[in-house]
Amino acid sequence: MTAFEGCPGSKMVDFREKDTEEETAGKVKSQLAQWPIQMHLISPMAPYYQGADVLLTADCVAYAMGGFHPDYLKGKAIAIACPKLDESQDIYVEKIKSWMEDAQINTLTVLTMQVPCCAGLLQLARQAAESSTRKVPLKSIVVGIQGEILSEEWA
Amino acid sequence: MQEYLNQGIKGIIKQFPAVENILDDYNIGCAPCSIGSCLLKDIIDIHNLSPGDEEVLMGRIAGVIYPGQEVTIPRMERKAVAGAGQKGYSPPMKKLVDEHVLIKRLVALIPGIIDNLDVESEPGRGVIKDSVDFIRSYADKYHHAKEEDILLKYADENLDIIKTIYEDHENGRAHVRAILKGLADRDEAAVREHLKAYQELLTEHIKKEDEILYPWLDRQLSITQIGELFSEFNRKDEECGDTPEKYEALINRLEPEYKLKEAVK
Repeated sequence: MTAFEGCPGSKMVDFREKDTEEETAGKVKSQLAQWPIQMHLISPMAPYYQGADVLLTADCVAYAMGGFHPDYLKGKAIAIACPKLDESQDIYVEKIKSWMEDAQINTLTVLTMQVPCCAGLLQLARQAAESSTRKVPLKSIVVGIQGEILSEEWA
Repeated sequence: MQEYLNQGIKGIIKQFPAVENILDDYNIGCAPCSIGSCLLKDIIDIHNLSPGDEEVLMGRIAGVIYPGQEVTIPRMERKAVAGAGQKGYSPPMKKLVDEHVLIKRLVALIPGIIDNLDVESEPGRGVIKDSVDFIRSYADKYHHAKEEDILLKYADENLDIIKTIYEDHENGRAHVRAILKGLADRDEAAVREHLKAYQELLTEHIKKEDEILYPWLDRQLSITQIGELFSEFNRKDEECGDTPEKYEALINRLEPEYKLKEAVK
Protein backbone atom coordinates (compact mmCIF):
# COMPACT_ATOMS: atom_id res chain seq x y z
CA MET A 1 0.00 0.00 0.00
CA THR A 2 1.38 3.46 -0.88
CA ALA A 3 1.20 6.43 1.44
CA PHE A 4 -1.71 8.83 0.94
CA GLU A 5 -0.49 11.62 -1.30
CA GLY A 6 -3.53 13.88 -1.30
CA CYS A 7 -5.90 14.78 -4.12
CA PRO A 8 -4.54 13.56 -7.49
CA GLY A 9 -6.11 16.61 -9.10
CA SER A 10 -3.93 18.95 -7.02
CA LYS A 11 -0.80 16.78 -6.76
CA MET A 12 2.35 18.57 -7.92
CA VAL A 13 3.99 17.01 -10.97
CA ASP A 14 7.04 18.49 -12.73
CA PHE A 15 7.69 17.31 -16.29
CA ARG A 16 9.88 20.16 -17.51
CA GLU A 17 12.52 17.72 -18.71
CA LYS A 18 10.32 16.29 -21.48
CA ASP A 19 11.23 16.98 -25.08
CA THR A 20 9.77 20.37 -25.92
CA GLU A 21 10.87 20.43 -29.56
CA GLU A 22 8.48 22.38 -31.78
CA GLU A 23 6.67 20.11 -34.22
CA THR A 24 5.09 22.81 -36.36
CA ALA A 25 6.54 25.93 -37.82
CA GLY A 26 4.71 29.23 -37.56
CA LYS A 27 1.52 30.13 -35.76
CA VAL A 28 -1.23 27.59 -35.13
CA LYS A 29 -4.51 29.12 -36.22
CA SER A 30 -7.24 29.35 -33.59
CA GLN A 31 -10.26 27.22 -34.42
CA LEU A 32 -12.52 28.92 -31.88
CA ALA A 33 -15.63 30.08 -33.72
CA GLN A 34 -17.77 31.52 -30.92
CA TRP A 35 -17.88 33.52 -27.68
CA PRO A 36 -18.57 33.05 -24.80
CA ILE A 37 -17.40 29.55 -23.95
CA GLN A 38 -17.69 29.21 -20.16
CA MET A 39 -20.63 26.99 -19.26
CA HIS A 40 -22.25 29.56 -16.94
CA LEU A 41 -22.03 32.22 -19.64
CA ILE A 42 -23.18 30.35 -22.73
CA SER A 43 -26.73 30.15 -23.99
CA PRO A 44 -27.54 26.63 -25.17
CA MET A 45 -29.78 28.18 -27.82
CA ALA A 46 -26.98 30.22 -29.41
CA PRO A 47 -26.94 29.70 -33.18
CA TYR A 48 -23.52 28.01 -33.22
CA TYR A 49 -24.91 25.13 -31.12
CA GLN A 50 -27.81 24.39 -33.50
CA GLY A 51 -27.24 20.93 -34.99
CA ALA A 52 -23.54 21.13 -34.04
CA ASP A 53 -20.97 18.63 -32.89
CA VAL A 54 -20.33 20.03 -29.43
CA LEU A 55 -17.26 19.69 -27.21
CA LEU A 56 -17.82 19.93 -23.46
CA THR A 57 -14.29 20.38 -22.25
CA ALA A 58 -12.78 20.50 -18.77
CA ASP A 59 -10.93 23.78 -18.30
CA CYS A 60 -7.46 22.19 -18.17
CA VAL A 61 -7.76 20.12 -21.36
CA ALA A 62 -6.85 22.79 -23.88
CA TYR A 63 -3.68 23.60 -21.89
CA ALA A 64 -2.61 19.95 -21.72
CA MET A 65 -3.17 19.09 -25.39
CA GLY A 66 -0.76 20.65 -27.86
CA GLY A 67 -3.02 19.98 -30.82
CA PHE A 68 -6.35 20.86 -29.23
CA HIS A 69 -7.37 23.48 -31.80
CA PRO A 70 -6.65 21.60 -35.07
CA ASP A 71 -7.34 18.08 -33.75
CA TYR A 72 -10.46 18.59 -31.62
CA LEU A 73 -11.93 22.09 -31.78
CA LYS A 74 -11.93 22.52 -35.56
CA GLY A 75 -15.48 22.50 -36.92
CA LYS A 76 -17.10 22.14 -33.49
CA ALA A 77 -18.92 24.29 -30.97
CA ILE A 78 -17.56 24.33 -27.42
CA ALA A 79 -18.28 24.99 -23.78
CA ILE A 80 -15.81 24.68 -20.92
CA ALA A 81 -16.30 23.95 -17.24
CA CYS A 82 -14.50 22.70 -14.17
CA PRO A 83 -16.42 19.98 -12.36
CA LYS A 84 -14.22 20.41 -9.30
CA LEU A 85 -14.35 24.15 -8.74
CA ASP A 86 -17.45 25.48 -10.50
CA GLU A 87 -20.58 26.20 -8.48
CA SER A 88 -24.26 25.58 -9.31
CA GLN A 89 -23.57 22.66 -11.63
CA ASP A 90 -27.25 21.71 -11.75
CA ILE A 91 -27.52 24.58 -14.25
CA TYR A 92 -24.98 22.74 -16.42
CA VAL A 93 -27.24 19.68 -16.53
CA GLU A 94 -30.15 21.83 -17.71
CA LYS A 95 -28.00 23.50 -20.38
CA ILE A 96 -26.69 20.17 -21.71
CA LYS A 97 -30.25 18.86 -21.83
CA SER A 98 -31.28 21.98 -23.73
CA TRP A 99 -28.47 21.37 -26.25
CA MET A 100 -29.93 17.95 -26.91
CA GLU A 101 -33.62 18.84 -26.97
CA ASP A 102 -33.77 22.45 -28.16
CA ALA A 103 -30.55 23.06 -30.09
CA GLN A 104 -30.80 19.53 -31.59
CA ILE A 105 -27.02 19.06 -31.41
CA ASN A 106 -25.59 16.30 -33.59
CA THR A 107 -23.09 14.80 -31.08
CA LEU A 108 -21.59 15.62 -27.69
CA THR A 109 -17.94 14.87 -26.89
CA VAL A 110 -16.81 15.29 -23.29
CA LEU A 111 -13.08 15.89 -22.89
CA THR A 112 -11.78 15.50 -19.35
CA MET A 113 -8.43 15.20 -17.64
CA GLN A 114 -7.30 11.93 -16.12
CA VAL A 115 -7.66 13.18 -12.54
CA PRO A 116 -10.61 11.50 -10.77
CA CYS A 117 -12.54 14.69 -9.93
CA CYS A 118 -12.74 15.52 -13.65
CA ALA A 119 -14.99 12.52 -14.26
CA GLY A 120 -17.77 14.59 -12.72
CA LEU A 121 -18.13 16.45 -16.02
CA LEU A 122 -18.96 13.22 -17.86
CA GLN A 123 -21.39 12.39 -15.08
CA LEU A 124 -23.21 15.69 -15.65
CA ALA A 125 -23.46 14.92 -19.37
CA ARG A 126 -24.79 11.42 -18.68
CA GLN A 127 -27.35 12.80 -16.25
CA ALA A 128 -28.54 15.29 -18.87
CA ALA A 129 -28.62 12.58 -21.57
CA GLU A 130 -30.71 10.28 -19.39
CA SER A 131 -33.30 12.97 -18.72
CA SER A 132 -33.36 14.21 -22.31
CA THR A 133 -36.21 13.07 -24.55
CA ARG A 134 -33.91 13.34 -27.56
CA LYS A 135 -30.83 11.13 -27.60
CA VAL A 136 -27.49 12.02 -29.20
CA PRO A 137 -24.23 10.07 -29.45
CA LEU A 138 -22.10 10.87 -26.40
CA LYS A 139 -18.35 10.29 -26.49
CA SER A 140 -15.87 10.47 -23.63
CA ILE A 141 -12.20 11.29 -24.19
CA VAL A 142 -9.83 11.24 -21.23
CA VAL A 143 -6.59 13.23 -21.54
CA GLY A 144 -3.40 12.67 -19.55
CA ILE A 145 -1.64 15.57 -17.86
CA GLN A 146 0.96 15.64 -20.62
CA GLY A 147 -1.69 15.81 -23.33
CA GLU A 148 -1.82 12.14 -24.33
CA ILE A 149 -5.16 10.46 -25.09
CA LEU A 150 -5.73 7.83 -22.40
CA SER A 151 -9.10 6.58 -23.57
CA GLU A 152 -11.74 7.34 -26.16
CA GLU A 153 -15.07 5.60 -25.88
CA TRP A 154 -18.77 5.99 -26.53
CA ALA A 155 -20.46 6.74 -23.23
CA MET B 1 4.08 -10.28 -54.23
CA GLN B 2 2.42 -7.23 -55.85
CA GLU B 3 0.44 -9.40 -58.30
CA TYR B 4 -1.14 -11.33 -55.41
CA LEU B 5 -1.92 -8.21 -53.37
CA ASN B 6 -4.41 -7.20 -56.08
CA GLN B 7 -6.08 -10.62 -56.29
CA GLY B 8 -9.30 -11.77 -54.58
CA ILE B 9 -8.61 -13.61 -51.35
CA LYS B 10 -10.83 -16.56 -52.32
CA GLY B 11 -8.76 -17.19 -55.43
CA ILE B 12 -5.55 -17.07 -53.41
CA ILE B 13 -6.94 -19.56 -50.87
CA LYS B 14 -7.95 -21.86 -53.73
CA GLN B 15 -4.46 -21.73 -55.20
CA PHE B 16 -2.66 -21.84 -51.83
CA PRO B 17 -4.93 -23.61 -49.28
CA ALA B 18 -2.44 -23.05 -46.41
CA VAL B 19 -3.30 -19.32 -46.56
CA GLU B 20 -6.72 -20.13 -45.07
CA ASN B 21 -5.13 -21.46 -41.86
CA ILE B 22 -2.87 -18.42 -41.59
CA LEU B 23 -5.90 -16.09 -41.88
CA ASP B 24 -7.76 -18.19 -39.29
CA ASP B 25 -4.91 -17.54 -36.83
CA TYR B 26 -5.88 -13.86 -36.98
CA ASN B 27 -9.65 -14.56 -36.83
CA ILE B 28 -9.98 -13.54 -40.47
CA GLY B 29 -12.50 -16.09 -41.63
CA CYS B 30 -12.44 -15.61 -45.40
CA ALA B 31 -13.07 -19.26 -46.23
CA PRO B 32 -16.80 -19.41 -45.32
CA CYS B 33 -17.49 -16.00 -46.93
CA SER B 34 -20.07 -16.36 -49.69
CA ILE B 35 -18.26 -13.93 -51.99
CA GLY B 36 -14.61 -13.70 -50.92
CA SER B 37 -13.69 -11.12 -53.53
CA CYS B 38 -11.88 -8.79 -51.08
CA LEU B 39 -8.38 -8.16 -52.34
CA LEU B 40 -5.48 -9.46 -50.29
CA LYS B 41 -4.18 -5.90 -49.84
CA ASP B 42 -7.54 -4.75 -48.38
CA ILE B 43 -7.69 -7.50 -45.75
CA ILE B 44 -5.25 -5.63 -43.52
CA ASP B 45 -7.33 -2.45 -43.52
CA ILE B 46 -10.71 -4.13 -43.19
CA HIS B 47 -9.59 -6.26 -40.24
CA ASN B 48 -7.63 -3.43 -38.58
CA LEU B 49 -4.48 -5.47 -37.99
CA SER B 50 -1.72 -3.82 -35.98
CA PRO B 51 1.48 -3.02 -37.93
CA GLY B 52 3.23 -5.89 -36.09
CA ASP B 53 0.50 -8.41 -36.95
CA GLU B 54 0.43 -7.10 -40.53
CA GLU B 55 4.14 -7.76 -40.94
CA VAL B 56 3.96 -11.30 -39.53
CA LEU B 57 0.77 -12.23 -41.42
CA MET B 58 2.04 -10.97 -44.77
CA GLY B 59 5.40 -12.62 -44.17
CA ARG B 60 3.71 -15.98 -43.54
CA ILE B 61 1.50 -15.62 -46.63
CA ALA B 62 4.55 -14.69 -48.74
CA GLY B 63 6.27 -17.80 -47.34
CA VAL B 64 3.43 -19.96 -48.69
CA ILE B 65 3.29 -18.27 -52.10
CA TYR B 66 7.06 -18.01 -52.60
CA PRO B 67 8.57 -20.79 -50.47
CA GLY B 68 12.28 -20.32 -49.79
CA GLN B 69 12.44 -16.96 -51.56
CA GLU B 70 13.08 -13.55 -50.13
CA VAL B 71 10.12 -11.31 -50.90
CA THR B 72 9.68 -7.58 -50.35
CA ILE B 73 6.24 -6.81 -48.99
CA PRO B 74 5.01 -3.22 -49.24
CA ARG B 75 3.19 -1.77 -46.23
CA MET B 76 -0.55 -1.81 -46.97
CA GLU B 77 -2.34 1.50 -47.38
CA ARG B 78 -4.91 2.11 -44.64
CA LYS B 79 -8.13 3.84 -45.69
CA ALA B 80 -9.50 3.73 -42.15
CA VAL B 81 -7.55 5.01 -39.18
CA ALA B 82 -8.58 3.81 -35.75
CA GLY B 83 -9.24 6.47 -33.12
CA ALA B 84 -6.71 6.41 -30.31
CA GLY B 85 -7.84 3.56 -28.11
CA GLN B 86 -11.46 3.92 -29.25
CA LYS B 87 -13.52 1.10 -27.78
CA GLY B 88 -16.92 -0.34 -28.56
CA TYR B 89 -19.45 0.33 -31.30
CA SER B 90 -20.64 3.87 -31.95
CA PRO B 91 -24.32 4.39 -31.00
CA PRO B 92 -25.71 3.87 -34.54
CA MET B 93 -23.65 0.69 -35.07
CA LYS B 94 -24.69 -0.52 -31.61
CA LYS B 95 -28.31 -0.06 -32.67
CA LEU B 96 -27.75 -2.35 -35.69
CA VAL B 97 -25.90 -4.93 -33.58
CA ASP B 98 -28.80 -4.91 -31.11
CA GLU B 99 -31.28 -5.44 -33.95
CA HIS B 100 -29.26 -8.49 -34.99
CA VAL B 101 -30.11 -10.14 -31.67
CA LEU B 102 -33.79 -10.55 -32.65
CA ILE B 103 -32.80 -11.80 -36.11
CA LYS B 104 -30.43 -14.33 -34.53
CA ARG B 105 -33.30 -15.55 -32.35
CA LEU B 106 -35.36 -16.24 -35.52
CA VAL B 107 -32.36 -17.92 -37.17
CA ALA B 108 -31.95 -20.12 -34.08
CA LEU B 109 -35.56 -21.29 -34.50
CA ILE B 110 -35.03 -22.49 -38.07
CA PRO B 111 -33.60 -25.99 -37.26
CA GLY B 112 -36.68 -26.68 -35.07
CA ILE B 113 -39.00 -25.37 -37.78
CA ILE B 114 -37.28 -27.64 -40.33
CA ASP B 115 -37.53 -30.69 -38.02
CA ASN B 116 -41.27 -30.11 -37.63
CA LEU B 117 -41.90 -28.97 -41.19
CA ASP B 118 -45.49 -29.36 -42.35
CA VAL B 119 -46.46 -27.64 -45.58
CA GLU B 120 -49.88 -29.28 -45.76
CA SER B 121 -51.70 -28.17 -42.60
CA GLU B 122 -52.75 -24.57 -41.97
CA PRO B 123 -50.87 -24.33 -38.61
CA GLY B 124 -47.72 -25.78 -40.25
CA ARG B 125 -47.94 -23.35 -43.14
CA GLY B 126 -48.72 -20.55 -40.69
CA VAL B 127 -45.35 -20.96 -38.94
CA ILE B 128 -43.52 -20.62 -42.27
CA LYS B 129 -45.61 -17.60 -43.24
CA ASP B 130 -44.93 -15.97 -39.85
CA SER B 131 -41.21 -16.59 -40.26
CA VAL B 132 -41.22 -15.13 -43.76
CA ASP B 133 -43.21 -12.15 -42.50
CA PHE B 134 -40.53 -11.61 -39.83
CA ILE B 135 -37.74 -11.86 -42.41
CA ARG B 136 -39.41 -9.49 -44.84
CA SER B 137 -40.80 -6.94 -42.40
CA TYR B 138 -38.23 -6.90 -39.59
CA ALA B 139 -34.95 -8.29 -40.98
CA ASP B 140 -35.35 -6.76 -44.44
CA LYS B 141 -37.68 -3.76 -44.41
CA TYR B 142 -36.76 -2.52 -40.93
CA HIS B 143 -33.10 -3.58 -40.51
CA HIS B 144 -31.55 -4.13 -43.95
CA ALA B 145 -33.26 -1.01 -45.28
CA LYS B 146 -31.42 1.01 -42.60
CA GLU B 147 -28.19 -0.43 -43.95
CA GLU B 148 -28.97 -0.05 -47.64
CA ASP B 149 -30.80 3.30 -47.59
CA ILE B 150 -28.70 5.01 -44.94
CA LEU B 151 -25.52 3.32 -43.63
CA LEU B 152 -23.96 2.04 -46.83
CA LYS B 153 -24.47 5.41 -48.53
CA TYR B 154 -21.63 6.63 -46.29
CA ALA B 155 -19.26 4.03 -47.75
CA ASP B 156 -17.68 3.52 -51.16
CA GLU B 157 -20.21 1.16 -52.71
CA ASN B 158 -17.61 -0.12 -55.16
CA LEU B 159 -15.60 -1.73 -52.39
CA ASP B 160 -15.83 -5.51 -52.30
CA ILE B 161 -16.87 -5.63 -48.66
CA ILE B 162 -19.88 -3.41 -49.45
CA LYS B 163 -20.76 -5.38 -52.60
CA THR B 164 -20.64 -8.54 -50.47
CA ILE B 165 -23.18 -7.11 -48.01
CA TYR B 166 -25.58 -6.16 -50.84
CA GLU B 167 -25.12 -9.58 -52.41
CA ASP B 168 -25.90 -11.32 -49.10
CA HIS B 169 -29.11 -9.28 -48.80
CA GLU B 170 -30.14 -10.19 -52.36
CA ASN B 171 -29.35 -13.87 -51.77
CA GLY B 172 -31.48 -13.78 -48.61
CA ARG B 173 -34.39 -12.27 -50.57
CA ALA B 174 -34.03 -14.98 -53.22
CA HIS B 175 -34.22 -17.69 -50.53
CA VAL B 176 -37.38 -16.09 -49.12
CA ARG B 177 -38.99 -16.05 -52.59
CA ALA B 178 -38.04 -19.72 -52.99
CA ILE B 179 -39.52 -20.59 -49.58
CA LEU B 180 -42.82 -18.95 -50.53
CA LYS B 181 -42.84 -20.70 -53.90
CA GLY B 182 -42.16 -24.02 -52.18
CA LEU B 183 -45.01 -23.32 -49.80
CA ALA B 184 -47.38 -22.49 -52.68
CA ASP B 185 -46.32 -25.68 -54.50
CA ARG B 186 -46.54 -27.79 -51.29
CA ASP B 187 -42.90 -28.65 -52.02
CA GLU B 188 -41.54 -29.59 -48.59
CA ALA B 189 -38.00 -30.32 -49.88
CA ALA B 190 -37.70 -26.86 -51.45
CA VAL B 191 -38.95 -25.12 -48.30
CA ARG B 192 -36.49 -27.15 -46.21
CA GLU B 193 -33.60 -26.44 -48.57
CA HIS B 194 -34.12 -22.69 -48.66
CA LEU B 195 -34.86 -22.33 -44.94
CA LYS B 196 -31.56 -24.09 -44.24
CA ALA B 197 -29.73 -21.95 -46.80
CA TYR B 198 -31.21 -18.79 -45.26
CA GLN B 199 -30.10 -19.90 -41.81
CA GLU B 200 -26.53 -20.49 -42.99
CA LEU B 201 -26.41 -17.26 -44.99
CA LEU B 202 -27.70 -15.06 -42.16
CA THR B 203 -25.47 -16.67 -39.52
CA GLU B 204 -22.38 -15.84 -41.57
CA HIS B 205 -23.76 -12.46 -42.69
CA ILE B 206 -24.44 -11.21 -39.16
CA LYS B 207 -21.00 -12.35 -38.00
CA LYS B 208 -19.46 -10.51 -40.95
CA GLU B 209 -21.29 -7.29 -40.09
CA ASP B 210 -20.79 -7.39 -36.32
CA GLU B 211 -17.12 -8.32 -36.45
CA ILE B 212 -15.89 -6.70 -39.66
CA LEU B 213 -18.21 -4.22 -41.39
CA TYR B 214 -19.42 -2.15 -38.43
CA PRO B 215 -16.03 -1.79 -36.68
CA TRP B 216 -14.47 -0.92 -40.05
CA LEU B 217 -17.12 1.73 -40.77
CA ASP B 218 -16.73 3.11 -37.25
CA ARG B 219 -13.04 3.66 -37.97
CA GLN B 220 -13.87 5.45 -41.23
CA LEU B 221 -16.71 7.75 -40.21
CA SER B 222 -16.24 11.20 -38.71
CA ILE B 223 -18.08 12.10 -35.51
CA THR B 224 -20.36 14.34 -37.59
CA GLN B 225 -21.31 11.37 -39.78
CA ILE B 226 -21.90 9.22 -36.69
CA GLY B 227 -24.32 11.84 -35.36
CA GLU B 228 -26.12 12.07 -38.73
CA LEU B 229 -26.47 8.29 -38.91
CA PHE B 230 -27.86 8.15 -35.39
CA SER B 231 -30.49 10.79 -36.22
CA GLU B 232 -31.44 9.10 -39.48
CA PHE B 233 -31.79 5.71 -37.77
CA ASN B 234 -34.03 7.32 -35.15
CA ARG B 235 -36.17 8.83 -37.92
CA LYS B 236 -36.47 5.40 -39.55
CA ASP B 237 -37.47 3.88 -36.20
CA GLU B 238 -40.21 6.47 -35.84
CA GLU B 239 -41.50 5.66 -39.35
CA CYS B 240 -41.62 1.96 -38.49
CA GLY B 241 -43.68 2.49 -35.32
CA ASP B 242 -44.17 -0.66 -33.29
CA THR B 243 -42.38 -3.01 -35.74
CA PRO B 244 -39.69 -4.12 -33.21
CA GLU B 245 -42.24 -4.83 -30.46
CA LYS B 246 -44.53 -6.70 -32.88
CA TYR B 247 -41.79 -9.03 -34.09
CA GLU B 248 -40.26 -9.52 -30.67
CA ALA B 249 -43.70 -10.72 -29.56
CA LEU B 250 -43.71 -13.18 -32.50
CA ILE B 251 -40.31 -14.60 -31.50
CA ASN B 252 -41.41 -14.78 -27.84
CA ARG B 253 -44.43 -16.83 -29.01
CA LEU B 254 -42.44 -19.16 -31.27
CA GLU B 255 -39.51 -19.90 -28.93
CA PRO B 256 -41.47 -21.97 -26.38
CA GLU B 257 -43.06 -23.92 -29.26
CA TYR B 258 -39.61 -24.99 -30.37
CA LYS B 259 -38.31 -25.29 -26.81
CA LEU B 260 -35.78 -22.55 -27.41
CA LYS B 261 -35.65 -20.64 -24.22
CA GLU B 262 -31.97 -19.86 -23.83
CA ALA B 263 -31.21 -16.28 -24.71
CA VAL B 264 -29.48 -15.72 -28.05
CA LYS B 265 -26.87 -13.00 -27.68
